[in-house]
Amino acid sequence: MKKLQYIQGVTITIILFISIALLGQNALAQVQIVTSVPDFASIAKDIGGDKVEVVSLAKGYQDPHFVDAKPIFVTKLNKADLLVYNGLELEIGWLPILITGARNSDILVGNSIGHYNASASIKDKLEVHTSPIDRSMGDIHPGGNPHYMLDPRNGISVARGIAARLIKIDPENAAFYEENFKNFVSALKQKISAWDAQLAPYKGTEVVTYHKLWTYFLDWAGFKLADTIEPKPGIPPTPSHVADLVKKMQAQDIKLIISANYYPQKTPQIIAQKTGSTFLALPTMVEGRDGINSYIELFDAIVGEITSPLKHKEGL
Amino acid sequence: MNSSRNFLILIIFTLIFSASINHEALSDESSDVKKELQELRQMMEQMQKKIDALEEKNRALEQQAKQKEKPVKEEIIVVEEETDLTVIEEPAQESQSFLSKVQNTFNPEISVIGTFAAAYYSQNDPIVFAENDPENTGVNVQEIEVGFKSVVDSYFRFDLFLSFSTEGVELEEAYGTTLFSLPLNSQFRIGRARAKFGRINQIHRHNQNFVTLPLPAAQFLGEHLNPTSIEANFLVPVPWYLELSASGGSPDVETPTFARDENANDIGKLLYIFHIANFFELSESLGVSLGGSFATGSNGTAAGERSNLYGIDLFVKYRPLKNNPYQEVMFQSEFMYLDAQTPEETLENWGWYAELVYRFAKRWNSGFRFGIIDTNTPVREVEGEDVETTNLFTSIRNEEGEEEEMLGLLGRTYRLSPMLTFNPSEFSQIRLQYDYLNQDFAENQHAIFLQFQYAIGAHGAHPF
Repeated sequence: MKKLQYIQGVTITIILFISIALLGQNALAQVQIVTSVPDFASIAKDIGGDKVEVVSLAKGYQDPHFVDAKPIFVTKLNKADLLVYNGLELEIGWLPILITGARNSDILVGNSIGHYNASASIKDKLEVHTSPIDRSMGDIHPGGNPHYMLDPRNGISVARGIAARLIKIDPENAAFYEENFKNFVSALKQKISAWDAQLAPYKGTEVVTYHKLWTYFLDWAGFKLADTIEPKPGIPPTPSHVADLVKKMQAQDIKLIISANYYPQKTPQIIAQKTGSTFLALPTMVEGRDGINSYIELFDAIVGEITSPLKHKEGL
Repeated sequence: MNSSRNFLILIIFTLIFSASINHEALSDESSDVKKELQELRQMMEQMQKKIDALEEKNRALEQQAKQKEKPVKEEIIVVEEETDLTVIEEPAQESQSFLSKVQNTFNPEISVIGTFAAAYYSQNDPIVFAENDPENTGVNVQEIEVGFKSVVDSYFRFDLFLSFSTEGVELEEAYGTTLFSLPLNSQFRIGRARAKFGRINQIHRHNQNFVTLPLPAAQFLGEHLNPTSIEANFLVPVPWYLELSASGGSPDVETPTFARDENANDIGKLLYIFHIANFFELSESLGVSLGGSFATGSNGTAAGERSNLYGIDLFVKYRPLKNNPYQEVMFQSEFMYLDAQTPEETLENWGWYAELVYRFAKRWNSGFRFGIIDTNTPVREVEGEDVETTNLFTSIRNEEGEEEEMLGLLGRTYRLSPMLTFNPSEFSQIRLQYDYLNQDFAENQHAIFLQFQYAIGAHGAHPF
């Protein structure tokens, strides 16, 4: 008899949950967009306006390589009409299991319209490995360096990809998305030429970075990567490497160290002190710091902060 | 005049040579050379033509490219891009590298993870609870896990994990998962899988935080509870994460708690497992998951005898994203209660463990675990034998004459385990652990482990 009661209890609770499930459906008319990192969320918001609801899984001040695959993310992906992610293995440690758990065929497979691997829109990928690689070289990504959003020109390609998908998913508002896309691109283009002008005097500046995260940015800005504080991607600095680096920076008179603001800052600070150089812990994504709420504001901050110590040096 | 003289000389020479024996061969050779030369000339001409054609093509392409580039500089691009929006165009990956080609084939993702442990036990015949715990003083293979993972098509994915140890190979997991949207947010897993019972049972050995398996898990679930079954999981649309799971299948693997019934032809005597999982995101830094499990099935002691196993699991993770993104504190705890019917009596056993792990640097973590198992119906001493000296794992089932694992417990056992782990990279791990085992019916045991772990192949997922 006890068992029977138990089974009854279980059935009742299951029925209860099923009814909740049915109630919960078809309540939302907006296009639900889930992005892996906030850069895409910000662009999607710019294009989708009030016709979309956007949520980013990772925070802007978080290392996108190491995000916890929280079960709550599954519920977000479950309701998504469009998933935008970086690709090139940036999210490999946490996004695939979430997608599997999402039970959502709209975003599941590579060829479905709601599954947007933004790296597919990037034409000129950097650091694509053509020769065999292995993990003794550190944490490298065979498809290329994944931090392409740090070149604002790539923001245009990604915006186009998002807009094209929104139009397919929600054709009724196609004109609206097109208009917003146009506005976004022209605003970004104006800004890019302004940033170009800001950066132009410092072309060829040699910099040291913490992680090989700035490849695309340096390529765009015309800066040169002298060395990284990490001896190999993903491997924390060793004392001997730091000592070599200090010597190298002193010999070559390298005066700028940049890093993402989520990486450890002690070692770069020590190196900066020893070499008399400037260390900048910069935001690398939208919402990477309070006050940075759009892709344009992100580059305003990065370009502004990088050029200001250089200006001072020029002045001296 | 000159030419005619030359001509005459040539004729004379030809006459002389034609008289010679070598005449035939020589003329043949020279004609051969001529032919070859002609062929070469023809080839050269063809190649020249080809080169010309290529150059022209190249020029045309360059012009096209220039035409395409022009609007970028002239800022008219928006008009062109607008038209692009109607079609989703991903630039073809022309310069596909060797590696991306390999990746794009239909091979499943393959991963191999080897776990080895050097161990020192204070006893000659050490008490070991789980199959893959280090067996003896010396160096032990704990497990070599080979995984194959891939989507099957747009409807299913298939995951296979083989576990190699010194005892042989075990099919640890082999299951298909539905990928398509189903009513009620359901998802099915069909095949052999680590059952959704509690938390530790769903975590592969190499992702666990300690060298040895927690006591209650080892005692009630075995190395892992992985029946072949059909499992339905429902994601309930509530503001937090709530998943309900139910599975039914055969206890076709060796488990201490469940076994095939003699009257196996009865659906009611299969193994049924239910699980409820909740996850609450209290803040971006603090997450709590709370679950309950229930498993019921025959235990193989006699026809119709059942075991009911209840479980509660709690997991708390604190990771201050903004201030110290690479530090985290994790607390994990499970309580299990077993109620097993045997022909002689009903056994009531319980177990509990709690572990606290603190990652104090990106590559370092340290932790402490407490585990206890107890029974209020101790196994009676086997007549004529001293419990302390005989094999402690003589079971009730053994008394029935079957060589199987123990169902009941002998008394109270608890274990304390401090641990320190270093991860040189994401793919290797070195772990030091001390185990202090206290049993109220036998001598205490000390053990020290140094565990090495290597992962090659596909990048694994980090379970939460």
